Amino acid sequence: MKAIDVTGVHFTYDDGTEALSGVDFHVSEGEFVAILGSNGSGKTTLIGLLVGLLKAKTGQIRIGEREIGSLSAEELYQRVGLVFQNPNDQLFAATVEEDVAFGPRNLNLPEAEVERRVTEALAAVAALPLRCRAIHHLSFGEQKRVSLAGVMAMRPSVLILDEPTAGLDPAGEAQMMQLLKKLNREEGLTVILATHSVDMLPLFANRIYVLDHGRVLQEGPSEEIFCHQEMIVRAKLRLPYVSRLMYEMKRHDGVPIDGLPLTIGEARVQLLELIPKELIIAELEEKKA
Amino acid sequence: MNGIWTKRRNVIRRAATVAATAGTLIALPAQAFAMHISEGILPAPWALFWYAVALPFVAWGLRDLRRRSEDLLWFKPLVGLVGAAVFLISCMPIPVPTAGTCSHPAGTGLAAILIGPGLTVVVASIALTLQALFLAHGGLTTLGANIVSMGVVGAYVGYGTYRIIRRLGLPWVMAAFLAGLLSDWATYAMTSVELAAALHGGESFSAMLTLILLAFVPTQVPLGILEGFLCAGALKFVRSRKPELLRMAAAGGAA
Amino acid sequence: MFDLFSDIFTYRDNALTRIDPRAKLLIALAALIAVVTAERIVLPLAVLAFCLGAVAILRIPAKLVACRLAAPLSIVAVLVVIQTFVTGKTPLFAFTFAGWQFTAKAEGLRQGTLLGAHVLGAVSVVFLLSIVTPAHRIFQALRWFRISRNWLEIAILMYRYIFVLMDRVADLAAAQRLRLGYTARGRALRSFTTLAGATIIHSLEQAQRTHDAMRLRGYRGTMPFGPLPPLGRRDRLILVSCLIGIAVAYGLLEWGVSG
Repeated sequence: MKAIDVTGVHFTYDDGTEALSGVDFHVSEGEFVAILGSNGSGKTTLIGLLVGLLKAKTGQIRIGEREIGSLSAEELYQRVGLVFQNPNDQLFAATVEEDVAFGPRNLNLPEAEVERRVTEALAAVAALPLRCRAIHHLSFGEQKRVSLAGVMAMRPSVLILDEPTAGLDPAGEAQMMQLLKKLNREEGLTVILATHSVDMLPLFANRIYVLDHGRVLQEGPSEEIFCHQEMIVRAKLRLPYVSRLMYEMKRHDGVPIDGLPLTIGEARVQLLELIPKELIIAELEEKKA
Repeated sequence: MNGIWTKRRNVIRRAATVAATAGTLIALPAQAFAMHISEGILPAPWALFWYAVALPFVAWGLRDLRRRSEDLLWFKPLVGLVGAAVFLISCMPIPVPTAGTCSHPAGTGLAAILIGPGLTVVVASIALTLQALFLAHGGLTTLGANIVSMGVVGAYVGYGTYRIIRRLGLPWVMAAFLAGLLSDWATYAMTSVELAAALHGGESFSAMLTLILLAFVPTQVPLGILEGFLCAGALKFVRSRKPELLRMAAAGGAA
Repeated sequence: MFDLFSDIFTYRDNALTRIDPRAKLLIALAALIAVVTAERIVLPLAVLAFCLGAVAILRIPAKLVACRLAAPLSIVAVLVVIQTFVTGKTPLFAFTFAGWQFTAKAEGLRQGTLLGAHVLGAVSVVFLLSIVTPAHRIFQALRWFRISRNWLEIAILMYRYIFVLMDRVADLAAAQRLRLGYTARGRALRSFTTLAGATIIHSLEQAQRTHDAMRLRGYRGTMPFGPLPPLGRRDRLILVSCLIGIAVAYGLLEWGVSG
């Protein structure tokens, strides 16, 4: 079943900048999709359209089975949730608890239900111990997770994240991506993330849309996307570092590598096959023992 | 005739003497927040009186807020954010040449031009409450008096000046400068009135007022001028970079 | 760069932070009224001693206490001087300085000292309140006292975004200083003005984004507040005994002992 269906959407800002020109974008329920694009590629505009902050003049946007315009604000916000790039934008209450409860309370839910949702949402992002803390005392990574909890408390079926890993340290980045993967696999949430950092994507995303100058350059699983080196460069992006290394070894040194490994795991398997067995220490020690 | 003259000269003479001593003393940290009447200074009847004066203005501002935020969902976040910005600006140390140290602008005139006087009173009442509670600037018992001088008088004088000068067809930079300057001076004059009224004891009110006014002159006169520059300069900066934001804030303001 | 709200202490767990903020607010209010209406200096000074004692027991750094009390203290000094030399009749002593005659008077000195005691007592009450009650708890308490919701909504947003804007402004100011923006007076004024303008721009842009985020979580023009639990038995007990304590102290120190 389709979670999001965007067909032939154009969007021009009031000042005349054409941000999107004829974008098609389809996401099925339970998918993990990345929108990859450089700054100014139209990612943020597309997200704005999906959550109803912007209105498209031409083209069609369907959320689930329904036209976006036919959904009331309340219905829309309970289907699609947006996590902003900067957590400060969406943490406006004084404490973690009050902030996460903001959405459920706006839905006029009974207080017991609000309470349950707050606890669940905080547990889902591993932030229960932060519950009574003041927002301005949280670290950046904690703020990111709490802002995710605030959106989760609305119980959307589609979660959209704008640069979820921007500004996080490597450990925080990995934690955030694992968290999103868990929400996707275990809770069945459809996850869409907009990003320009490519290294993590092959591990997590089912499909990738490459956006450039308001157009979709290419769409498909990561193996397909990253084998188009020129297209990636044209979109002002790059390959994951591992792939770049393998690509250079293949091209300049003639190392016989099949396709293009995208993750460290794949690269390791391929390289191990190429290295003579007698040079691999683990195997030598195994033999000795 | 002669009697009045000697009396007046006496008042001025005495005021000047004490202003000399007080002036040096005030060049202590006190001058940094000279315009906030400190917690506990006002006797209870005066504290209540100024609360009574301030309340209708705050209530009117809140009515204004309710009215304007009814059709504009973004209006309350906007007022809150402008309030936060003005709060911070009022905490920025501004170098005052005569004091040799740094003092702080009030920012009320700027706020009044941005979001109008009614809402400026609301924002000022919140800022003053936060400062009284968490920074020991001003006070809870003197909150009413401080709202009157810093919020009501500062906001309406600033806004009024800006409107009048604009209506005369003079450039907005001049209007903003004078709005900043006069709102600062008016605030300081009002604060002096409030202090003099409460503290003159057996002495005449006018003698006490002259004294307090003179004591604050060395820092407040240049600070007012700086505040004028600040108001015009900040507005100019915003106008040149993001004029559309000003229009947004001015849903009822003057810029 | 800025005199920051030192609210870390309010998140500590101690006997005073555990008291319901509504009770604390009422007690502080009663203490303030007692201090401001006191005719003798004993009561305000007793309140000052009590509050400073509590502050010491809670191990609040002396530096913070000094920082908060510095401005009120210098105001006290000015008040005592002004009142002593300007008001009153009975001369205490006189001296000539730079050709001017100064006469200190007994009534003025008494009045000035009393005022000074008022200031110190009242400031210490509010200081103690502020280091055992976080801002959001005070906002909650104010809601219970039926303060306008709109006022509180703006207050909550302001309080929250003061911290956000402060971070950005501090970065900007540091950048200006690194580029020698404050080395000459004229340049300092220009840098300062730019800083103020940039703060306004940041705030207006932030307002748009914050509003977007609020809308996406169902905001319809009023911030929803949670329920307020009734005042617990323990807190009611504390409230009543403290109010009685203040009343008794007032009676004793103001009217009790003669002289």
